[in-house]
Amino acid sequence: MRLPDPRRLIPRPQDFTSRLRGPEVTARVGLWLGITFFLAFVTGLYSHFAQDNPTWLTLPTRPEWLYRVTQGVHLIAGSAAVPLLLVKLWSVFPKLFERLDLLHVRRLGVQLAERASITLLVLAAIFQLVTGLANSSQWYPWAFSFRSAHYAVAWVAIGSLALHIAVKLPVIRDALTGSVDAGLRSDDTDAERATSPHPGESVPRTGPVTAGLSRRGLLRATWLATGVVVLSTAGASVPWLRRVSIFAVRSGDGPQGVPINTSAVAAKVVPAATSPSYTLEVTHKDRSATFTLADLRSMPQTTATLPIACVEGWSASGEWTGVRVSHLLDQLGAPAEADVTVESLQRDGPFTVTSLPRQFARDPLTLLALELNGETLSIDHGFPVGSSRRLVRAFCRPSGSAASR
Amino acid sequence: MRTVRSILGLAGVGLAAVGLWKLLGQDGADLRDALLWLVGGAVVHDAMLAPVVVLVGAVVMRVLPVWARMPVVAGFVVLGSATLMALPVLGRFGAREDNPTLLDRDYVGGWLVLALLTTLGVAVGSWWQRRQSASRGDEDNPGGDRAHDVPAADGNGFRAARAAAEGQSGT
Repeated sequence: MRLPDPRRLIPRPQDFTSRLRGPEVTARVGLWLGITFFLAFVTGLYSHFAQDNPTWLTLPTRPEWLYRVTQGVHLIAGSAAVPLLLVKLWSVFPKLFERLDLLHVRRLGVQLAERASITLLVLAAIFQLVTGLANSSQWYPWAFSFRSAHYAVAWVAIGSLALHIAVKLPVIRDALTGSVDAGLRSDDTDAERATSPHPGESVPRTGPVTAGLSRRGLLRATWLATGVVVLSTAGASVPWLRRVSIFAVRSGDGPQGVPINTSAVAAKVVPAATSPSYTLEVTHKDRSATFTLADLRSMPQTTATLPIACVEGWSASGEWTGVRVSHLLDQLGAPAEADVTVESLQRDGPFTVTSLPRQFARDPLTLLALELNGETLSIDHGFPVGSSRRLVRAFCRPSGSAASR
Repeated sequence: MRTVRSILGLAGVGLAAVGLWKLLGQDGADLRDALLWLVGGAVVHDAMLAPVVVLVGAVVMRVLPVWARMPVVAGFVVLGSATLMALPVLGRFGAREDNPTLLDRDYVGGWLVLALLTTLGVAVGSWWQRRQSASRGDEDNPGGDRAHDVPAADGNGFRAARAAAEGQSGT
């Protein structure tokens, strides 16, 4: 038995014969892929800061739908990047098999540097899409913290992307300003002359190799695929797309017309939340006050239609009724510049303690919600009290005590 | 141009360094797992997904008539990428009994509808292409209609795979 030559088992770039590949396709798909990654990076950064509330940054409290929009853009950009990345990687796949110039030290150095930067970019890009999509469906098949890993790799992705664009800029410019069909012979695009001169020959050296296919057609298919994946997922944040969003992580239904992010059972707060002795404790320095549910209900109530947007990307709108946080702070005589820390009844998890910077604490639309859409807040929405802080993700378990510092 | 490239390149190196520093600052077990997923994603793409796509390309070029190729490739791009993107919801891996509002759609049903629409689109596209090529063929290439009877010049794939498959040791 004759074994194939092992050197032939690993293909060489020239073994890939499709004439669809080329900078003309790569640059056009890459342009849109770059745009989606940039949008995802910026909106992701915003979400990160909205949760962290770094002291050097004052986030705006208006418009109240801002976080809903940035989260929607993040989700849509991430989905759109899937077909774009797949086609982009396909278009450069032969380059994976380029051999290194082992004998030419200087060229080898350049090659290794380019390989390293592209490897970093590909690893980071795939990682971001895979972990982001899994997170949006609340699936965590790994041990690391999604948030910190996705955040760290986002910097790697955007940095190696900027470097990649810098390296390839001349190629990109030439490809984008030139014709899509650059480098093709006229008969390459002509389906009518698809006949091989030697039909029986297994490896013809000449002749059109992609008869029937065209770069334009491939690009159109890519845009179509991008549109399809966007429509199929965007309904989780764009209500009027719900019906066509066959892959949206939520239909938008739920108790009191709003989906649940984390159930009370999952947050292990059912006993504490349903306890008749529940009280809300508000402290400022050495002063402190406790409020029962009846106390809160007897206070002036405010009703507002506000969006709830989650870190996982989905959002919904609801009519929340409750006590203004600023009203509670006034009862204690807390000054306007006091930031608030909200402690959840939930004992473990990343959102047990959340900060409410002063501009949000004092905003007339920041409520400790007692009702949602005209009914007493369901336990899965944060009964007894939920904080409808507009900016940050749905407070998954927002009830508990509030302390101002 | 040179300045723009230098600034962009340096900024890129800086940003990537920030990311690597943040990544490597994770705890040992977390870091190992994150690195595993980083490398794993690319390995799954390069060693499994990409060869399958190359093979599909080769099959398209060898088996399908010319007029069906572009529609089939377009359908493959659409349905393939949508399916990959939808794997987490199709598998409902994140579903929880205590949260009926999460993953609360019929995803497999939705996928079947998408697959049906894609198939319809491919069929209509092929019919259209065939009509186009037939009418064009009448004008300047009477034999063009027979193009699909002749084996394609070469696949979308690579020769080594074919050579290996046909038991040849070289070109």
